[in-house]
Amino acid sequence: MRILIADDDALSRGLLEKTLERADYEVTTVADGRHAVEILSKPDAPRLALLDWMMPELDGPEVCREIRKHRDQGYVYMILLTSKESKEDIVAGLESGADDYLVKPFDTEELKARLRTGERILHLENRLVEAREQMRFKATHDPLTSLWNRGVIMDLMGRELVRSQREHGCTAALLGDLDHFKSVNDTHGHLVGDQVLREAARRLLLSVRSYDFVGRYGGEEFLIVLNNCRPDSAMARAEEIRKIICTRPIQTDAGLLGITMSLGVLLSSNWGRRPADELLREVDAALYAAKTAGRNCVRLAKREEPREFAPAPQPAAGRFR
Amino acid sequence: MNRANRSSEAASVNLSELLARVDNDRALLCELLSIFKREFPDHLQALRNAVAGNDADKAARVSHTLKGMLANLAVTKAAASASRLERLARAGEISTLGDALAAFEKEVQGLLPEMESYLAEARP
Repeated sequence: MRILIADDDALSRGLLEKTLERADYEVTTVADGRHAVEILSKPDAPRLALLDWMMPELDGPEVCREIRKHRDQGYVYMILLTSKESKEDIVAGLESGADDYLVKPFDTEELKARLRTGERILHLENRLVEAREQMRFKATHDPLTSLWNRGVIMDLMGRELVRSQREHGCTAALLGDLDHFKSVNDTHGHLVGDQVLREAARRLLLSVRSYDFVGRYGGEEFLIVLNNCRPDSAMARAEEIRKIICTRPIQTDAGLLGITMSLGVLLSSNWGRRPADELLREVDAALYAAKTAGRNCVRLAKREEPREFAPAPQPAAGRFR
Repeated sequence: MNRANRSSEAASVNLSELLARVDNDRALLCELLSIFKREFPDHLQALRNAVAGNDADKAARVSHTLKGMLANLAVTKAAASASRLERLARAGEISTLGDALAAFEKEVQGLLPEMESYLAEARP
């Protein structure tokens, strides 16, 4: 465990350093409060700190207040070292954000016991952060494939559409559906079906760039968002994705299964300012077109010029014609 | 510890407490004593100057430092004397600082030679 010691008295610093090193701490020492704040504010800072109350630059309580301002960082457990005996001072010290205090000269065993209390608190915080991250993952990912879940992939697509409009770029939305997946489930059971879905998801992730998004849209449907996609390369990339699914059969408990995917493709640059759900309907129609064209192929969502908005014939302009 | 006994009127080191604090680590003891030897005379001089110049803030700061050093080395009575100086200086009782300083000087008289003798004994 790493620990910071801030004390302007070299003697006290030396004594603390040695005592804590002997107790297997990895010790950093500084001689004033300014340096203590500097070190404790770094991303990979020690999370235990012993701060002398009276120090030049910033005193112990001031260091505590400074550190407690940064709530987004990992918790730092801070113990003030004091020779003060008055109750008011102790209260003021704890209210500055310190977790505990020790009266100098301290008893070594008491010091170690109080540090262990700090470690317990830090351990507890680690577990809470870990649990929160797990919850966050579960709330945003599909449990079977670990891809983004439907809600998140639609949000991401919406965000990318807005961004590409603003930057006059192009986002490609690909809706892919595994062909005849129902018969895989019916013939081999759901466990084998799940194996196919997991492997398909893995291959989809391999086929995109790190900044593209892949989500599980429905049962055997996947939505892929290609950011900053060149319009002339979108079809080729969809074709690559189709091939990465069908080229090699998928290994399952029921043996090797040949699986194919049909894909609809939509280029945001062709569709102007339209909401995401409307565009999803269009790419879904393109996917349907790929299915009716015999499956295992890619179709582009084409925009039909709506009649009522077709440019009206220009009236004859008399003498200029 | 003959030399220590000679300055018996001065407050001396509570050796058993000090040894417990350093966990019988002679090297660490030497290190701490050397720091004390190096820093104590300067702090003492700064304290004398602060009291002579009626600078209560400075006197409070320096006596606080001295109190910490002495307490860490288990020089109990001298630490208490420094603590009294600090208290008076904080309260701004400038008129009493001279006497308190004299009392403190008496406590620490002979302290350096005493430290020296421990240092000689503790050195491996």
